[in-house]
Amino acid sequence: MTFGQVLEPYVEFARKAFAREATYRVEVFTNLGSLVLRVYLLRQLWVALYGQNATPAAIPLHAMLTYATVALLMSLVLEIDGTRAIREKVREGTIATDLMKPIVLPFYFFSDGVGQTLFHALLIVPAICLSLFLVHIDVPGPATLAVFAISFLAGYAVNFCLNFLMNVVAFWTLETFAVQLMIRWASDLLGGQIIPLAFFPGVLGTIVERLPFASIYSTPLRIYIGDLPPAQWPAAIAVQFGWLALFALFGAIVWRAAQTRVVSQGG
Amino acid sequence: MPIIETRELRKVFRSIKRTPGALGALRTLFSREVVERVAVEGVTMSLDAGELVGYIGPNGAGKSTTIKMMTGILTPTSGEIRVAGIVPHQDRRRNARNIGVVFGQRSQLYWDLPLVESFELLRAIYNVPRDRYRANLAEFTEILDMGEFMTTPVRQLSLGQRMRGDFAAAMMHDPRIVFLDEPTIGLDVLAKEAIRTFVARINEERGTTFILTTHDLADVERLCRRIVLIDEGKIIYDGTVEAIVDQYGTHRTLVVTLGDAEPEFSLDGVEIESHEGPVVRIRFDRKEIKADVLIRLVTERYAVSDISIEEPDLESIIRRIYVEGYEAP
Repeated sequence: MTFGQVLEPYVEFARKAFAREATYRVEVFTNLGSLVLRVYLLRQLWVALYGQNATPAAIPLHAMLTYATVALLMSLVLEIDGTRAIREKVREGTIATDLMKPIVLPFYFFSDGVGQTLFHALLIVPAICLSLFLVHIDVPGPATLAVFAISFLAGYAVNFCLNFLMNVVAFWTLETFAVQLMIRWASDLLGGQIIPLAFFPGVLGTIVERLPFASIYSTPLRIYIGDLPPAQWPAAIAVQFGWLALFALFGAIVWRAAQTRVVSQGG
Repeated sequence: MPIIETRELRKVFRSIKRTPGALGALRTLFSREVVERVAVEGVTMSLDAGELVGYIGPNGAGKSTTIKMMTGILTPTSGEIRVAGIVPHQDRRRNARNIGVVFGQRSQLYWDLPLVESFELLRAIYNVPRDRYRANLAEFTEILDMGEFMTTPVRQLSLGQRMRGDFAAAMMHDPRIVFLDEPTIGLDVLAKEAIRTFVARINEERGTTFILTTHDLADVERLCRRIVLIDEGKIIYDGTVEAIVDQYGTHRTLVVTLGDAEPEFSLDGVEIESHEGPVVRIRFDRKEIKADVLIRLVTERYAVSDISIEEPDLESIIRRIYVEGYEAP
């Protein structure tokens, strides 16, 4: 089989997911409206907070506004979860039919997620333009943007693996809502989506910087706003890929166990 | 060479015994009393390419478990299994390219997408060459009459339309073997007939092997030459439909409609099953009395407006075997 043939189903999965998302058009426009409002409110909030306290943790206001806005836009893409389908398929038993197809299921979930992501990424383009105009976020040079993109993709993959692991738990428990809520909360707060990790006091700050969640939001965002000097970029991205490798390996092991569970218990 | 071969195939499910109640749940945490349930007990069978076999048995007999082992999503506890030369559970993805599946109760179509997009997705999944795909799509659309709902989202299809879509989906990659699990459940007579015609035609034209699991024995009578009967995990009959009908179907029923003037009816040496209005049903063993003799006896004594013989159908025979067990002739 050629490489193209191996890839063919997954490209098609992504295209179908993209098309599926595009069928919900009304939602698209209401989302856009609420997004612009959230960007604006976030700006007002940080301006007010900075009015009380001058430049906490050495992040100037314009950098903070950029951080908060970019974090919000990132979350729109990162909150899409192609692995949610695992839970539904296990509960409804349709996972058995999927296992009768010549595909690697985790890659199916990944490409389905990518298709959804691409559609929503397209949607946030107008939001980005409006944000530039409304909040005046900083736009770094092309080199920084390129490194940010790499770091963002690494974070995207780490986020996928985390979601995957948490949904595969459904093979044992059927229900994963509580676990999922916990992980989402952890990755938002401890990952730096809500506030920069530099705001965490003392030893807590040191700890959260070292947790895997930092790879999802904090690392790409610190590269974007220039909080992380270029000399530290390779090391920061290496840490992201380290977590990615670890989670991917762990995911593969858990997936194997989940499949064994199906094949011995009959789905 | 057979396309499907199993030898002494066995599957035992293990589960932890649960005690009811809160205390029971606590006990389940600590004591691990394992309960074993034998689903398939030593199934040996062999199917040749191009056969259309009915695999039947009561609920819980082990039919689905056998099929799942053939598709590779269940690992046998012991025994051997080969599907087109492949051991399914060891090489599930390669096996998947040779097989197609249709589940009456579970669709493999993509719910949100128009029907045709599910087919396109399947084309990509199985790497079907485009011209082959177009030829198949055109042929299936014609036989199954899917033209008018091809672009309708699957969730809006009727059950009959959806099942036709599911059949086409299962055949799109030209599988050598197709497993049909209760494919006509819940369908109206027209949809059933459309699907039976489709299966018969694909089997004849392409030599595709079919294993049909069903409770609707009309499917089997219409399509299968051979049936495999399974009960409590064991094969109790494997042979032609005619042979089993021959063996069990020695009783027939003569249905006589009497003329108005004949309210009473009696005849020595035969069993009157029922007598309602002018219709009398007479059960007889063809080994003891020939039909033409019986008819002469009846018509000599009574004025008869109509007369017919009912052959035993497969359903009544199978029902008898489920209740009484099978006895080899």
